[in-house]
Amino acid sequence: MNAIAFTDVRKNYGDVLAVDGLNLTVEAGRTVALLGPNGAGKSTSINMLLGLVRPSGGRIEVFGHLPDEAVARGEVGAMLQSGELIPELTVMELVDFVRRLYPRPLDLDEILKMADLSDLVKRRASKLSGGQTQRVRFALAIAGAPRLLVLDEPTAAMDVESRQRFWASMRDYAAGGRTVLFATHYLEEADENSDRVIVVAKGRVVADGTAAQIKAGAGGYTVSFTLGGQPAAGLDALPGVSAVEVSAGAATLRTTDLDATVTALYRGTSLEIRDLKVTGADLEDAFLALTRES
Amino acid sequence: MPNYIRIEALRMLRNKRYIVFVVAFPVIFYLLFCNVLGGETAPGGIGASAYLMVSMSAYGSLAASIMSTAVPWAQERQSGWLRQLQITPLPNRTIILTKLAAALLLTLPSLLLVFLAAVLTQDVSLEPGQWIGLVPAMWIGTLPFAALGLAVGSLVPPDTAQPAAMIGMFGLAILGGLWFPVDNMPTTMQAIAHALPSFPYADIGWHLVAGETPPLQDVVTILAWTVALGAAAVLAYRRATARA
Repeated sequence: MNAIAFTDVRKNYGDVLAVDGLNLTVEAGRTVALLGPNGAGKSTSINMLLGLVRPSGGRIEVFGHLPDEAVARGEVGAMLQSGELIPELTVMELVDFVRRLYPRPLDLDEILKMADLSDLVKRRASKLSGGQTQRVRFALAIAGAPRLLVLDEPTAAMDVESRQRFWASMRDYAAGGRTVLFATHYLEEADENSDRVIVVAKGRVVADGTAAQIKAGAGGYTVSFTLGGQPAAGLDALPGVSAVEVSAGAATLRTTDLDATVTALYRGTSLEIRDLKVTGADLEDAFLALTRES
Repeated sequence: MPNYIRIEALRMLRNKRYIVFVVAFPVIFYLLFCNVLGGETAPGGIGASAYLMVSMSAYGSLAASIMSTAVPWAQERQSGWLRQLQITPLPNRTIILTKLAAALLLTLPSLLLVFLAAVLTQDVSLEPGQWIGLVPAMWIGTLPFAALGLAVGSLVPPDTAQPAAMIGMFGLAILGGLWFPVDNMPTTMQAIAHALPSFPYADIGWHLVAGETPPLQDVVTILAWTVALGAAAVLAYRRATARA
């Protein structure tokens, strides 16, 4: 069953098209990153997914229901991009209040432990640091044990250490077979914390796959070696190779399938390969290439 | 909903501004005024201490119902707390009904404290029947003010809601004769007072304390305001929570 299904979803604010025919599905149990530059339509898509914003066209389903219904059934928990807490209330009061709004919540202790808040239960929200506030907001998002957890740039205000702790908490939560969708413009976050990356730009999906596939899609790897006087003919026919360049006795191949290309190079040709060097395009290059093209 | 009301009440009871303006002010001013005017007879032939008990508890309840709604609600809209609630299973209508219920609950401390001070320190004594009429009348009578506060909170941002709430609170209290009796005002001011919801609200109390049946006019005026401000609050709330 799909946790999320966007079918031809559009959203315009006057003349400005924020989301332009978005199609995507996310299977239940996956952790998916929505990656894109600022203004790509990530937050608008997330707000539509949560029923906070109505699409101008198309249809969104969450576990087979309209977003409002899914939210009302307690299937969804979310950490929005910004949001303050009630300053006069303590961490425990806030978390316990929100968990009681859901039909089948997590245990209070379990939430506090997972969000790393066990030492802060009695502290009022007005006395929390920025990173601590984010942890409380994460706790509110998971409090109801939602099957779908949505995080909109959750680590934007965190330092490096808080970030690592945050992603560890997220993985703990996802480990129970739950679905997580998070938006980010940090490439390495998408790479390290998701099993699928959906790249959006200008309100459309421009790439969709594992981080490795996305890298490959944007040119993948470069294989170079010393060719010397040997003939270059046939190199462009090797599996995975998309371009061949020969200059000054050195051959440079661009490939989308590194293993196949290298294997074929050794086993499928009679060339004498020396000084073999492989460089991988990183996700950053892939991301820039993808979002520039669109 | 009890879960939500509890949270709303808890946060206001920890709010210094609420405690000072709403819980402490009415009792302190009641005792001060009684000290000065204690032995005199107020309009309507009742003792000043009983008259002032109604005036100050009316001011306190009016202040409580506006203060616990307008600014906190405007802040919650701006700070993103409303959005946080909207992505939980809590229905929109429960949010506003809880706000209203919490506002009513939060008028009780000032109301009861002034009554208690009157009985314990000023020897005000009423028939049991009078108390049974007075307490619910002065309690339920705060509905239009809570509705006003919610409408303001739905319509404007917190930095505008703050002065608007203050002006509404003191304006209604002073023009409605809660601080100075309406009978001492010029006729134009008296006409204004009679048209506002705050005067009939307290006037019902003054009549009950004097052992009289409140005038129908008062009841009609306050009901009309309740309906009008209630409708305004609902419309403003719908606008504030409409999806983009």
